[in-house]
Amino acid sequence: MPVSGIVLNCVAARVNDIALRLAEVRCLEVHGVLPDGRIVAVIEADTVDDEVALVSEIQEIEDVISVQVAYHNFEDVNA
Amino acid sequence: MGLTRRDFIKASAAAAAFAAVGVPVVRPKDAQAAEAGITWGKAPCRYCGVGCCVLVGVKGGKIVATKGDPAGPVNKGLNCIKGYFLSKALYGKDRLTTPLIRKGNKMVEASWDEALDLIASKYKEAIAAHGPDSVAMYGSGQWTIHEGYTASKLMKGGIGTNNLEPNARLCMASAVVAFMNTFGSDEPMGCYDDLDLGDTYILWGANMAEAHPVLFSRLIDNKLKHPGVKLIDVATRKTRTTKMADEYIAMKPQGDLAAINAIIHVILRDKLYDEAFIKQHVSFKRGKENAPYGLKDKEVFNETPADIKNLTFDEYKELMKQFTPQWGEKLSGIPAKKIEELARIYSDKSRKVNSLWTMGVNQHSRGVWVNNLIYNLHLLTGKICKPGENPLSLTGQPSACGTAREVGTFAHRLPADMVVMNEAHRKKTAGIWGIDPAKISAKVGLHTMEMFRAIDRNELKCVWIQCTNPFQSLPNVSRLRKAAEARKAFIVVSDIYPTKSTEVADVILPSASWVEKEGVYGNTERRTQQWFKMIEPPGKAKEDTWQMIEFAKRMGLGHLFPYSEKGFYKEMWEEYRQFTIGVGKDLAPYEAYAKVRGMRWPIKPDGKETRWRYTEADDTNVKTGEGIKFYKAPGNKVNVWFRPYEPPAESPDKEYPFWFCTGRLLEHWHTGTMTGRVPELKRAVSGATIEIHPEDAKQMGIKNRDMVRITSRRGSVVLPAEINGRSTPEKGSVFTTFFDETKLINELCIDAFDPLSKEPDFKKCAVKVKKA
Repeated sequence: MPVSGIVLNCVAARVNDIALRLAEVRCLEVHGVLPDGRIVAVIEADTVDDEVALVSEIQEIEDVISVQVAYHNFEDVNA
Repeated sequence: MGLTRRDFIKASAAAAAFAAVGVPVVRPKDAQAAEAGITWGKAPCRYCGVGCCVLVGVKGGKIVATKGDPAGPVNKGLNCIKGYFLSKALYGKDRLTTPLIRKGNKMVEASWDEALDLIASKYKEAIAAHGPDSVAMYGSGQWTIHEGYTASKLMKGGIGTNNLEPNARLCMASAVVAFMNTFGSDEPMGCYDDLDLGDTYILWGANMAEAHPVLFSRLIDNKLKHPGVKLIDVATRKTRTTKMADEYIAMKPQGDLAAINAIIHVILRDKLYDEAFIKQHVSFKRGKENAPYGLKDKEVFNETPADIKNLTFDEYKELMKQFTPQWGEKLSGIPAKKIEELARIYSDKSRKVNSLWTMGVNQHSRGVWVNNLIYNLHLLTGKICKPGENPLSLTGQPSACGTAREVGTFAHRLPADMVVMNEAHRKKTAGIWGIDPAKISAKVGLHTMEMFRAIDRNELKCVWIQCTNPFQSLPNVSRLRKAAEARKAFIVVSDIYPTKSTEVADVILPSASWVEKEGVYGNTERRTQQWFKMIEPPGKAKEDTWQMIEFAKRMGLGHLFPYSEKGFYKEMWEEYRQFTIGVGKDLAPYEAYAKVRGMRWPIKPDGKETRWRYTEADDTNVKTGEGIKFYKAPGNKVNVWFRPYEPPAESPDKEYPFWFCTGRLLEHWHTGTMTGRVPELKRAVSGATIEIHPEDAKQMGIKNRDMVRITSRRGSVVLPAEINGRSTPEKGSVFTTFFDETKLINELCIDAFDPLSKEPDFKKCAVKVKKA
């Protein structure tokens, strides 16, 4: 199962609402919310496929400016 | 309940993300142990021209993890979504692993000796019968510096032809010509630090949020920290970039030529310019006009020095009087009032103004002129060579700067800004290469469009393509594909996966990629980044340098590459470095790059990098007291060019009523050779769509995801409509991407190109749109 650490850049005024919405998402844990609009989260999905589908979905959420990847471990995935 | 290994890996993932946002956290004691056995090495990202720093984790000979490099000043620990797939792009199931030779309609496995012997025999045969200009090599802005240097020495110094081109002709050539004819030296005076230090950013037709996401994030960080920071998006399409901009200014295609001229008119009319700066640093020039569009084979513009006229400032002002804001509004669609406002922003002494642009300006039938006009804005207002205040041309490939531009793998260039037409430059090059200067031809080779058209004309007999996919990416590609399919030339393709170009090849060679070899890349901001080999390439795949040198040996040119096996990279680097010393492009000794996350040239005598060129504040080529000195320009004076408006090669009409524009999107890169191999990425954004303005769609009865036929005078494709999606083009325009190999989008594009840079215009042609 791949694991990634991601940073979301959001419109600051909406960061808490977005974090609450993300908290509902399976495979994603919100680890921190910064007042300047950034959210630190960890994704652990069954496959990289699911992981990426999730990142693409998050990217489309209104007022999410960008999703960036700090860390990606896919040691257990068969290429 | 105890913590599992996975919990510790998750802790590491969270810690890396927190570190990247500047919040230090301590990982649990055992987290490090969970990563046991992973060896981390540094490398620049394989994808775009931003040059993000990546840490690559290898275990058991395979890449198992990647991190944004916290020590990397470009991206400060974060990668964009493409960084996710860096390693996976190497592990696609259809990776090329053995040489293949065409036997009729089949490609059959061959040994390296068989393949290389065949290539050498075909090249020898062509050269004997038709001379060295009957063969060519077509490379890449994704080539490492060593690969480009090998190709240049082989073709220009060995075979004796300048028929060497990089695919960077399709993305950066206009920027190069403008840097040269304005400043006398290629590449920017500023750097990415300007994204953090400025307060005003004017984007000319650039969707940075998708094409340069990490740089856009830096810009947004600056904006979040400093509420006074202003971002103005001048574009033909509303994008993700627009969402974050303070202002979106809609512009007609080709409107940049008119709009910038009108802004300059206001700056001159209202005396908003910096007279002292102009007096000290600027010359005024006018070139040849009414240029052709290169649509006919062998059509040449042929601007000679006699065509270039010197102007006085007064003459220039007089000429610019015609370009009123009202005139600008008519041609650009930008309201005259807005043009007046932009002139005031550019000349506001209290604002640090930056211009940013990329393919919208470069892939333009008058791309050099628009680049020139942007520089005019900065030179007339003196807003240049200062921290946080510069024009910055953004690049698209990881080593378009390092390899294509600095090594000089264009048909007219030699290393370090030298050109084949100049006898002294040929002599210097021959001296470093240890060859007879007569071996380097003074004749400019075939530029990319002419190179592939020459196949159709039966004039080019052999072409070797490495690390790029021209039979998908070139405009009006069906003519070129037909010529290749008719086997009009012997075509060799070195790549890592099957592509639309390997489809038409006579020989396919499997290449090593990225960290399967050692290499050096040079990014947009003059940053040179080195990495070591970390894993073995699959099967029989070999490095491109090895392929070229083995070919050279068979051509009797092995003596050009006398480097030892062990010291290969360092020895070749030190030879190449000689070109750069003392000419304001100084590179550091090879080992210096192994220790750092890149350095920006010119490297100072004390070994430190230069962030801002031409200023005594940072560039040691400028003496104390000289302030700003454009020491690469003749007489230390840079050129402000008079560049009028000229129309595009093709505009919408009754039969083809829509503008057609192509570009990239966040998840896919170029022709999708690498990103298309990552199944999850393919699924996330599966294929190309055609973006249509909702009102246009309504009028044509087209709904979202309806299949739509788009037809130009050159070709036709069917794509699903995208309405109110991620981006929306202006009314009367449609937009699509070119990554999808199942749809040869570039069949539709016109093969018109800039007369000075020979860079094609992928952004403007006319199409009709019908529900399929």
